[in-house]
Amino acid sequence: MIEQLPEGNSIGWMQAPPQWIFSHTVRFVGIVRIVIQDGEGFILIRRGKPVYYYFKHGRIELKGNSALDYFNSHPIIEFNLCKYTQDEFALAMKVCNIEMDNSQDLPESPKVMIREPHPMPVAESAPSAPVAEPVPPAPITEPVRYSQLPKPAPVAESLPPAPVAEPVRYTPIPKPVPVAESVPPAPVAEPARHIPIPKPAPVAESVPPAPLAEPVRHIPVPKPVLSPFPVEEQIPRPLFRAQEIPMERPPAVPQPILLEESDIKLIGQIKKLNGVVAISVFNDERNILLMGDVDIEPLLKIARSMLATTRKISPLVEWGSFVHMTLQTPEGNIIIAPYQEVYLCLFTTRTINIGHIRRILRDLQLTTKIPDYE
Amino acid sequence: MLKQTLTKFLVINGVQAAIVVEENGEIIESIKSGIVIDKNNLISIISTLMLDSKATASRFGSTPLSMVFVEYSDNFIILGPMAEEFYLIIIAKNTANIGQITYEMKKNQEEIVSEL
Repeated sequence: MIEQLPEGNSIGWMQAPPQWIFSHTVRFVGIVRIVIQDGEGFILIRRGKPVYYYFKHGRIELKGNSALDYFNSHPIIEFNLCKYTQDEFALAMKVCNIEMDNSQDLPESPKVMIREPHPMPVAESAPSAPVAEPVPPAPITEPVRYSQLPKPAPVAESLPPAPVAEPVRYTPIPKPVPVAESVPPAPVAEPARHIPIPKPAPVAESVPPAPLAEPVRHIPVPKPVLSPFPVEEQIPRPLFRAQEIPMERPPAVPQPILLEESDIKLIGQIKKLNGVVAISVFNDERNILLMGDVDIEPLLKIARSMLATTRKISPLVEWGSFVHMTLQTPEGNIIIAPYQEVYLCLFTTRTINIGHIRRILRDLQLTTKIPDYE
Repeated sequence: MLKQTLTKFLVINGVQAAIVVEENGEIIESIKSGIVIDKNNLISIISTLMLDSKATASRFGSTPLSMVFVEYSDNFIILGPMAEEFYLIIIAKNTANIGQITYEMKKNQEEIVSEL
């Protein structure tokens, strides 16, 4: 199935909690390709609303909430956002056997859910042959619990980059693991993922955690952490639990620091320049974004120490505002530069000289000054 | 002699100061033109840049420092190791030609080291 989907226009690979996807794709139309250990999957998203979840690991296929549960069971996942045109999205929906209504709104969730218990018919004799993969259907007669899939590997550097040419790591400002795993109203944390299952009936058919969702749903609802919802109100119709998760996440994300899609795209373009090994966006508190196959901690330490050096020097000179600092070693160049309200750190090979670096940074500043909204 | 060698840098358009310092922060020789900078501040800047950069570079392992470049909107400062314990520092306007400066630094490195 995955191979039949349109490629889309890749924005970049990154690593982040699954919830990040849903909170940062409000205007996104396309596919989020996900890689978890040796398996791969995707989420089709249309303007913030997930349309379809899918994951495959070996001969095990997960669809719908099972796939979503599996994604959510990992504190950090590696994924690639690929934008779709309308035609591409329509084709993707067709590949996934999802019908869209005339308004191009989301398909009714039951349609998505119902398909889930029938993975095999699709494989056996799909009239529209959405599953072209030669996966023997026999192993999957029952939606597989995500627990049968390999357990999440340790986060950070151990995520396999194999399918990804340039793996990207993203660490959003609110600590992802704690937020996802243990929201301060502790009882809410784990069940929070399951709570907003909107369709208990169809979910219960095929989703093992659904029974948990039923009782749990009542527990966090009173929690007024971020909730705009009345206490007694059932989780509204939203089709996908993932939409609920950000609402229950207590720490507010400081909007000015978050990177827009256009920023990520721009940084991705810089990463693609010849000689650029890695690029990181960071602030005083944490790393925000990392693109490139390097260990984040050493790079961040170096970047922070360089930043500290400039902060010591800057008050002593009257040379205007800080533009950038480059440290050249035989191993490569480390460059730090202010970027909007945060800082960029680039790690490059020695093929890039100071002149190149200045040009890159100058172009970056020019580009970010020009408002560019699609 | 060293001063004469450093004068070659002032000839480059935009270069305002050329300073040779020892690792302990002591200024061996300096030459300035068109820039006013407090001596104590200068020593602090140089020491900070030198020591911090060396410590930062050591995070790469036993990698020696090749060059440090700090740019501000009006000026920039380049720090380049000459010999094991000596550094050459160039302060210039941001319109100066960096390539030319680094070229001259490499070209005159032996001469400067011999004069230390």
